[in-house]
Amino acid sequence: MKLFPLAWAALWRNPTDSLLLIAGLSVGFALFGAMIAVNAAYQRAIDDLRMDRLIVSCAFDCGAIPIGYREQLARIPHVTAVAGQMWIGEHEEDARQPITVMFVDEAMHSAWPEFPMSAADWRALAVSPSGIFLTRKAAVRRHFHIGDSVAMYSGRDGTADGTGIWNFTVLGFIPDLPGWESASEGPDWNRDTIVGNLRYMQNWGRPDESSFVTVMRVAVDHPESARAVCREIEARYTNANPALRCVPARDDAQELADANINMRQISLGIATAGLFMILFLCANGIAESVRERLREFGTLKALGFGDGRIATLVVLETAIPTLLAAVIGGAIALAINVVVARLVTLGAINMPDLPLSPSTFGLALAAALAVALLSALAPLYRLRRIDVASAVAGR
Amino acid sequence: MSELRQVVAVLYIGIGSLRERYTTAFVIVIGMACVVGVLTSMLSLTAGMAAAYLRPRDAARAIVWADHAVFDQSLSLKPEDVATVLDTPGIAKAPDGTLLADAEFTMDTLPVEGYAAGSLKVDGLGPAGVALRPEFKIVSGRTFRPGARELLVGVGAARKFRLAVGSQIRLRDGAWPVVGVFSCGSDIIESHLVGDAVTLMAARRASGFAHVLVQLASVDAYPAFQNWLIRNPALSVFVERTTDYDRRALGVHAAFFTGMAYVISAIMALGALFAVLKIMYGAVRARTREIGTLRAIGFGAAPVALSILLEAALLAAIGALIGAVLAWILFDGRDIWVWGAFKLHIPPSLWLLGLAWGVSTAVLGGLLPALRAGRLTPVEALRSE
Repeated sequence: MKLFPLAWAALWRNPTDSLLLIAGLSVGFALFGAMIAVNAAYQRAIDDLRMDRLIVSCAFDCGAIPIGYREQLARIPHVTAVAGQMWIGEHEEDARQPITVMFVDEAMHSAWPEFPMSAADWRALAVSPSGIFLTRKAAVRRHFHIGDSVAMYSGRDGTADGTGIWNFTVLGFIPDLPGWESASEGPDWNRDTIVGNLRYMQNWGRPDESSFVTVMRVAVDHPESARAVCREIEARYTNANPALRCVPARDDAQELADANINMRQISLGIATAGLFMILFLCANGIAESVRERLREFGTLKALGFGDGRIATLVVLETAIPTLLAAVIGGAIALAINVVVARLVTLGAINMPDLPLSPSTFGLALAAALAVALLSALAPLYRLRRIDVASAVAGR
Repeated sequence: MSELRQVVAVLYIGIGSLRERYTTAFVIVIGMACVVGVLTSMLSLTAGMAAAYLRPRDAARAIVWADHAVFDQSLSLKPEDVATVLDTPGIAKAPDGTLLADAEFTMDTLPVEGYAAGSLKVDGLGPAGVALRPEFKIVSGRTFRPGARELLVGVGAARKFRLAVGSQIRLRDGAWPVVGVFSCGSDIIESHLVGDAVTLMAARRASGFAHVLVQLASVDAYPAFQNWLIRNPALSVFVERTTDYDRRALGVHAAFFTGMAYVISAIMALGALFAVLKIMYGAVRARTREIGTLRAIGFGAAPVALSILLEAALLAAIGALIGAVLAWILFDGRDIWVWGAFKLHIPPSLWLLGLAWGVSTAVLGGLLPALRAGRLTPVEALRSE
């Protein structure tokens, strides 16, 4: 600690230089922190999904699985629950406002227990078939409030009575689902999660669609059983009409991420470039500082400072601005994440939430220390080799 | 001595002294290489997509969708609607008298192992489908026979999914053999399989089409063609030029990533700007006596300031070129799959953008140090230590 005042004084020897160094490093760390958060967000979007939750759909994009398959699937060994879901939508009363409702049956809370609806929410949905729940982001985007009536138009042939109008009541809001939707939005589909009751769809929708769902959600007893159960389902239904395709939810998310722009790889590449810039800037700063103060270091050596203490002083001089910049950069990264979250909520961009967790901050600080140590290597080597007499004489 | 010659002289002296300041110069070069490298690498993806989507096309080509279904996965256009569309005046005819218009659709196949559902698609083409695509050519095998359960694979999909003549694709009614490989001038259709629309429709057990692709008799025929369709009470369709559709499709796939590339590069450029400021201030400080001497022997303030700016711009330009060259070596021409096969592309415009990005960052960063150098009076400069 005795060396800290010396290092601090050295840092502010030239305030403009030091402030510019800290500003440059802060921007570098902000970028590094934001990219690490992007990487973690896309990874979490996959990790949050479970292997023991299976998604069963038509093998050949028929889009309609008979609801009767539900009981057959439930009898397959290792399957613990099966539920159906179906999407219907077109637009709200305002034709420019697309809407899609995901109708689910009552078994969904067993087949997909992680779905963020509480037991009370499920009960409320069961007793009010025309009720809907929205994710919080969807509610913000659509300006919906609890108790609001919402009309959805799905085309004249979309309902049994030929009006094509569906009337819903907003029952409540649920937490946003993890992950993101990479599919393009269009007039027939949008990414807002709005949950409705499948019974309402069966009673109010087209009679020929009432006994079908788009997707079956299947829960299995162990993640290790997932792929075997999927193989079993595909084998059993390979010659059925429709044939089925099954994929564990996590594998599905991984495949989706691989088919899209690889944001995890890109964010890591940018974070590395940012760190590289920080390293060069920092190394140049400390090398310049040591070069300009060779006489001072010579004097310290003449006064009895050993190589170890000199090294500690130099590392401290490097660590102070980098750690300060890491903290400032972390705060900027946090602000960036807040802006990104707001843009996601408003629907302006489509990506997972960026969690700036303590581990991200910890990683930024660790990177700062590593950069400080690496930057100090060359000046330290030079200081070990200086001749005290020449340095003090300013030669 | 003219001002221009003074600028050159001071710049020459400054560059000569870089040998003593090579580490600081190196930081500007490396920093700009990182900034421009990241910018050009990220934009190479959207440039590759743009090259596939925005190829020069015949402006006399139009596309007709069922209203509210303006992307390929829909099957909302019924056969009777297609017949009405094909009756529209203004459609060009082939030399044999057949209409140059084709009802088409896109459907998913079973996902290839390890790829997301929807990655591999099959396009159903009608009799005019190939005639409407002049770049379409078979590169190996043969074309499919109408009515036969046969498919062609595009070169992009063939590369990505290791498909070739003889491969089997499982559709709803069984396995369909791949009988040929085609290219289509880097069009997005090269990422798909294609087959006879009517036969595929029977296999799919569906009767709708996604769109009708139309070659108009002339570019000027478009407004009348569009009006005729929109005002037809028997139809509910949306019409657009294929060039507009291409731009729309590119926007859906690339807009977010392009925006992200610019935002990230701007953040990196801000960091580089602080570095340039610091380093150029250091350079002015190190050369204070030299600048004082020059001013004392008659050099003007403006040439001195300009030479500082030019030095920063020169170093940044070198860094930008290094970044662009590295990005070009690492990424240009590399295959990438983003819901379709693309080649990363760094065209000359991207090189210029990178260069301009780096140089303008350096000029902004060098502005204040240059002003400081210009404002130094010979007396105070010569007195400095």
